[in-house]
Amino acid sequence: MNDMQFLTWVRGTGLDIAVSIFVLGVLWRLFEIYSLGRKADISAARSVSGASGWHTIFRRSVPPEGMLKRSPVSYIGGYIFHIGLAIVVFLFAPHILLIKNLTGLSWPGLPSQFIDLAAVVTMAAMVVVLVDRINKPVKRYLSTFGDWFAWTLTFLPVLTGWMAVQHLVLPYTTMLALHILTVELLLIFLPFTKLFHAFTVFGSRWYIGKINGHKGVAV
Amino acid sequence: MAISNDKEFKSALAGLSASQQRQVAARFVQRVFVLSGDVRVKAALDFAARADITDADLTVVSQAANSARVESFTQCGKETDWTAQGGHFVAKAAVACVKAAEPADNLAWEAAMQARMARTCETVATGEGTENTEAEEQYRILEAFLNS
Amino acid sequence: MSASLEKGVRVLKEVIDAPIASYFSSCVHCGLCAEACLFYTETGDPKYTPIHKLEPLRRLYEQEYTLLGRLGKLVGLSKPVTDDELEEWKELVYNSCTLCGRCSAVCPVGNDIVYMVRKFREGMSASGHAPEGIIGAVNRTVTIGSPMGVKLPAVKAQMKHVEEDYGLPIPLDAEGAEYMVMLSSMEIINFPEYLAAIAKIMHQAGKTWTLCSTAFEATNAGMQIGNSDLAKLLVMRIVDGAEKLKVKTVISPECGHAYTALRWEGANLIGRPFTFKVQHIIEVLGEFQEQGLLKTEGFETDKLTFHDPCQLARRGGVIKQQRNLMNMVSKNFVEMPDAGYMNWCCGGGGGASAIEEGEELRMEAFKKKKSQLDVVKPDRLVTACANCRIVLEEGLEHYQMDIPVLGLTELIAEHIPDQTSEKGA
Repeated sequence: MNDMQFLTWVRGTGLDIAVSIFVLGVLWRLFEIYSLGRKADISAARSVSGASGWHTIFRRSVPPEGMLKRSPVSYIGGYIFHIGLAIVVFLFAPHILLIKNLTGLSWPGLPSQFIDLAAVVTMAAMVVVLVDRINKPVKRYLSTFGDWFAWTLTFLPVLTGWMAVQHLVLPYTTMLALHILTVELLLIFLPFTKLFHAFTVFGSRWYIGKINGHKGVAV
Repeated sequence: MAISNDKEFKSALAGLSASQQRQVAARFVQRVFVLSGDVRVKAALDFAARADITDADLTVVSQAANSARVESFTQCGKETDWTAQGGHFVAKAAVACVKAAEPADNLAWEAAMQARMARTCETVATGEGTENTEAEEQYRILEAFLNS
Repeated sequence: MSASLEKGVRVLKEVIDAPIASYFSSCVHCGLCAEACLFYTETGDPKYTPIHKLEPLRRLYEQEYTLLGRLGKLVGLSKPVTDDELEEWKELVYNSCTLCGRCSAVCPVGNDIVYMVRKFREGMSASGHAPEGIIGAVNRTVTIGSPMGVKLPAVKAQMKHVEEDYGLPIPLDAEGAEYMVMLSSMEIINFPEYLAAIAKIMHQAGKTWTLCSTAFEATNAGMQIGNSDLAKLLVMRIVDGAEKLKVKTVISPECGHAYTALRWEGANLIGRPFTFKVQHIIEVLGEFQEQGLLKTEGFETDKLTFHDPCQLARRGGVIKQQRNLMNMVSKNFVEMPDAGYMNWCCGGGGGASAIEEGEELRMEAFKKKKSQLDVVKPDRLVTACANCRIVLEEGLEHYQMDIPVLGLTELIAEHIPDQTSEKGA
């Protein structure tokens, strides 16, 4: 298979397979988790404004008192790479075009130099959090193959995409194909790894907010 | 004077000086000391019974008696040994005997109350219920002290 | 009550619900929960990481409720939960967890770890892996009716003591009283001053109240060990008493877990809503204060600070009232760092203080509370939970810190002018 065939394959069949597995996987996992249901709480509720599942979905994004200084890398590094990923994925013109082709939706992107910077910052942040995971006793203790795998799955698309745009190391066609392939791998594995938190974080925060909101505690 | 109820008992105690209160309080607690047996409690009572105790002495025995008190709490979830719990109140009473006295304190009354609680623990432990004559015995002790 | 691994696993499968599934699926191993847990922060041992305390439950969830997990089990690729593993986890789930909930407060993805530990204990208990100290309490509840072996004579002893000391009679089984007062075992045994304080306060507020001879004890060992049947038994006793006496409100005493068990788990345990209100004594006092029914005199002038019992504040939602009450009787009330919702646990709740083998760990963990006190340097420490009181006193004693500890209800009562009453409530 030569470069062009590889590229054509990942853009066509590969993408179809990956997106299908992704969509089916996400739907299945959501069903698997949330169909377990929850017993209603019949204790008398204490209603306090600001204490609810919806509030917590947003409020939980703010570090609680005293925690930022206990683990600045987790919070700062985490925010940088999440936001960086979002910028690179959703505000880069070629990506927006792809989304337009798939769904019809589109929006203005950011200048490519900005995206370039965002990609570099994202990768740097990801390396920092990886090093932190290796260095900090608790993170090291908790980490399993799944953590290293998830990091790699997330890092490679950013790296290969950036390298493609920079025309680094490999010819553009190959680099682009590799980039798309790594994205497809990410899509395929996302529903079945800790990366699924991208979806369940809303459910989890909502549950904890609701359960505690019932007691009048704004969490 | 004859003491026949707690109102008279309390006000008679309040009329005593701190040193006198300690001495009579020590006698109240001595009656229930057997429930404790702790040497630190004994030391506190011995010192309190003396008329010539210094502040420095008080501090030392106070700390020791407090340790005895803290160590004899019944832990949450443990089976209650009522005799041992009586010992806890004895320690508490001893602490009252040797604590630094504020003007409004009636430490002899405190000690008397804790001593009665200790006696009640003993009667609960032996299954005799809550009735006992500790209060009357304390009145007699106070009368004897005032007359001496 | 025969325990077995099979029984334990069955119980665990039953308690797993959508929230738990969502939580396990969201965990990204960030380790922030450890940074919030005093057992980790004061020992530096990563095994005390809260989410790690749930590892057997997580694997069980995977193996039973996820497609990939079930496939893995089928082809023999999964590691089953064993008796040895649960035995090893006993220390993590009981000795080093007081159900304080700080981990849940910080998890960035919203995992309610304490909710999961509480449920995990159900399986630990059913499989026979609960600590001896708490099993004893459970057995005593079943055989004697009380986790600590407290029976009516003991309560009557307290009543007599209070009546003598204060001249205020204590009502027992008074039908139609507005409030039914519960006591924690700890108060009945260690702190008779609490009942005296209640009597004084109720008298001043002009409220009718009563103790109940068949339901005076609030302590719920079932909740601590993780045995819902037992927890239900204890709650039912209270419900029967309250309904028989037709009271409007049941007051939960200065005890953290008793409040959680009755106020939040109670109705769910018995399967129907309560026909009466449940309030923590501090909530009641807060209400009295707002309504002008608490008339206090004088102020403490020494420096006071307040330790928030976890089950009252963070887990129970009673956070402002204790501060308002403190300010009512103190001119020099200073908050410790992280006060209120994020306050640090005393280290002894949830049955932990009944576990003898855990004492050394608790003393280590107490360094956190010590560090808070070292910042404030109070003359005295006030709290609103009988168990916290004892744990705090023991910790302070261990570190040779001379800071007396007292209960908030008693403190308030001390500032109510003495009235030796002619009539009872």
